[in-house]
Amino acid sequence: MTMRTDVLVIGGGATGVGVAWDAALRGYEVTLVERGDLAEGTSGRFHGLLHSGGRYVVKDPLAAEECVVENALLRELIPDCIEDTGGLFVATPDDDPAYGDKFLEGCQKAGLPAEEITVEEALRREPRLNPGIQRAFAVPDASIDAWKTAWSFARGAQEHGARILTRHRVVDLHVSDGAVTGARLRDEQAGTEFDIEAGFILNASGAWAAQILHMAGIEDVGVVPGKGIMIAMNHRLVDTVINRLELPGDGDILVPIRTVSVIGTTDIRSPDPDELPVTQEEVDQMLDDGERLVPGFREARALRVWAGVRPLFQDAKAGEVTDTRDVSRTHAVVDHAARDGIRGLLTMSGGKLTTLRLMAQDLVDAMVAQRGDERPCRTREVKPPGNEDGSFYAIGSRLRKREQRLLDEQLICECELIGRSTLEETMRRRHTTNLDDIRRSLRLGMGPCQGGFCMYRATGILHDVEELDGPEAAGSLVNFLEERWKGVWPILYGDQLRQARLDDWIFQGLLDVEHLPT
Amino acid sequence: MRRYDAIVIGLGLAGLTAALRLAEGGARVLVLAKGVGATHLSSSTIDVLGYAPAAVERPREALPGFIAEHPDHPYARVGVDAIAEAIEWFKGRVDYSGSLEANLLLATAVGALRPSAVVPRSMAHGDLRGGGKLAAVGFATLKDFYPALFADSLRRAGVEARAITLELPPERRADANALAFARALDGAAYRDRLVEALAGQLGDAERVAFPAVLGYNAAPEVLEALEARLGRPVFEVPTLPPSVPGIRLHRTLLTALRRAGAAVRLNNVVVGAEGGERVESLRVRVGLREERVAASWVVLATGGFASGGLELDSRWQARETALGLPVSGAPAPGEPRFEPDYFAHHPFNAAGIAVDGELRPLDGSGRRVYENVLVAGATLAGSEPWKEKSGDGISLATGYAAAGLVLGAPAVAEARS
Repeated sequence: MTMRTDVLVIGGGATGVGVAWDAALRGYEVTLVERGDLAEGTSGRFHGLLHSGGRYVVKDPLAAEECVVENALLRELIPDCIEDTGGLFVATPDDDPAYGDKFLEGCQKAGLPAEEITVEEALRREPRLNPGIQRAFAVPDASIDAWKTAWSFARGAQEHGARILTRHRVVDLHVSDGAVTGARLRDEQAGTEFDIEAGFILNASGAWAAQILHMAGIEDVGVVPGKGIMIAMNHRLVDTVINRLELPGDGDILVPIRTVSVIGTTDIRSPDPDELPVTQEEVDQMLDDGERLVPGFREARALRVWAGVRPLFQDAKAGEVTDTRDVSRTHAVVDHAARDGIRGLLTMSGGKLTTLRLMAQDLVDAMVAQRGDERPCRTREVKPPGNEDGSFYAIGSRLRKREQRLLDEQLICECELIGRSTLEETMRRRHTTNLDDIRRSLRLGMGPCQGGFCMYRATGILHDVEELDGPEAAGSLVNFLEERWKGVWPILYGDQLRQARLDDWIFQGLLDVEHLPT
Repeated sequence: MRRYDAIVIGLGLAGLTAALRLAEGGARVLVLAKGVGATHLSSSTIDVLGYAPAAVERPREALPGFIAEHPDHPYARVGVDAIAEAIEWFKGRVDYSGSLEANLLLATAVGALRPSAVVPRSMAHGDLRGGGKLAAVGFATLKDFYPALFADSLRRAGVEARAITLELPPERRADANALAFARALDGAAYRDRLVEALAGQLGDAERVAFPAVLGYNAAPEVLEALEARLGRPVFEVPTLPPSVPGIRLHRTLLTALRRAGAAVRLNNVVVGAEGGERVESLRVRVGLREERVAASWVVLATGGFASGGLELDSRWQARETALGLPVSGAPAPGEPRFEPDYFAHHPFNAAGIAVDGELRPLDGSGRRVYENVLVAGATLAGSEPWKEKSGDGISLATGYAAAGLVLGAPAVAEARS
């Protein structure tokens, strides 16, 4: 079979869904293909920070300016995906307080509304902060839920006619007479391959861009994958985003998001974006960095660790990149007609989740210009679905809903307060056998017990909703346990090790899932 | 300070077993426990050896070879005869059946078949070694048992099983846990409703499986009544905590322990020991106070990493939390603790307290740390109980053996006579 589309978007991360939304709003017929689940790669593996721009004001002013504008826009466009935590930049005892002056100057230049507050006021707002901090600045940082964001844009695109194909991997690009004409796709669930003809291809595959371009015979594109690890802690150790007041470095951001807080990150050049091992040294470093921001950090429970890979880009002519932190965080559109003599193909390189809307606009603008169309961008004005009521996500919102239905509905995930009807609706909508997809959609199994209790229940419910047979359901459970373990074992200590051992007793001892017929 | 012959630390299966045997043997026993122990979370079955790593059909035959291959295993410390003796002793005190001779195959709540040696009467009819025709009954408001999933998996394992889901909420809410069902089933009125709801639904089922909620205070009566009125053998399937049959087992043993004259103090956390070659007294945190308690003998049965008897800190140092005993088998910081594959044999799994043949704790060079401390249960090094399906067997056998060693010691033996 052959599918046809006008615009083929490769990659279902923040950039790709933004591009699909932008192009669909302009009236193009769009198909987005993603090899895994939406926001399963880089976008779902960051710290959850909606940048105010403060991080970049001294070192990377252009990136800072973009963040200032896009932060304000996203707050208007997708408030349901954002928690308005605010942010603080604090000089720890190890930092030079004089950097604060450069910081403030940079904020003024970038148009970033930053305000110095007293140390006492900072400690009043965040009592767990290191009492030895020397200066503090308040900025409009926020936390943003990457999965909710991705689905919000994707659903918006779908409502405007876009096709969203998750678990579809591009295995080849078709090039004919110096132009791309389509791609060969593999449906990862069905195990089948088919071709899609496309009028234009927008490569939004981020750190995987080089792999995609290789399929069109383009070799020397300077994608520099930079690995960063993050650790989610069991509690909101802070309610405000905390940044170290210094040039961007490792372990200098602590983001409260939903029920947890996430510390990040490192930045290590990583040749293979699919091979991102977490080492004990990195974990130790993050925990020590956490201690510097919040004393007693090591006594808190670490829930999960993961590594993400930044899609940093540097033109091959600029030579070898040694420190990926020195690569600009802004983005650039790569025009393969001009660069490589291949028409109908553009690549988005670099960038960050905060500027996803702008990145999408720039990429689609470039396509519109090449095609000679007259279709202006509309993403500054139109809100994607789910954000109609205009209020920010608030930490207590699930609890409030839950309390209204306390006696009427089963609570399936106690940690994240997920009721049965929400779970069943999501299973029907996602129509998946992969419990990790449900995890990303609802945060199922992301709390302290890491699925210890809810995953057996979710398996029983999935078996019913998706009419699975026993072995299929068992396979879903085993797959979830194996995936979960990857993010758990490097940080198992303290009470989280205790929790993991209880989970071993439940899944291996009591249920004996290891010996289930699958 | 009042002096006890023996202080048992911990109130899980190992602690209960050690304390009960000691008290029945005439020793003056004090049990100090932080909480009620892991029986409340357990299946309540006594799994002695289920996988080695192939499924074990006859534990008594398999154990000598298993012990030879696992010289550091707790079973190697006590020997096969002590395991068998402990099981007979246990069966004399609780309503359990089965033996070391042959493992039963019990269906788990996901429909796997788990080898188990000794099981409560309420689970005895769940032995599926010979297959069978089952009806599996669940409740819409019990989120911890899914009869359709259970039946589907069992069919794949060659057991004919049919699922029945009943409404019958035991309380006026959509979310009731196992205890709510168990308490409701204690009453004849709810049982009547259950039997009525099942009328005509059981068809040719030879046996009926329920989640393990068949009675809290009146379990024997509930089982008997259901079997009589449904006209078929009935059995319980253990499911997620809280475990009703685990709580029943705990209460049975605790009642026996109190009858035998032991003192039991909950919310007593042992935080250290005083003494040289022998522990003279224990430091015990009770609320905000710290007390000293003197003892001739100490049986440490505080559990492993799941129960808080052992801990690993964020600098990757393992410690034993009550007496500060050296932990054996914990990989050093920087060494691999776990494998990336969840079901692998992780290097960290076997970490715990190493002991000699008399269950005395050993340091890194193989010397006894204390002469009068014995270690029992999940605190012990050398096993992967959730994989071997050996946890209850280890707790029972080592708790029993520890008590025997204390009772046989000259001072205690003399005091008893």
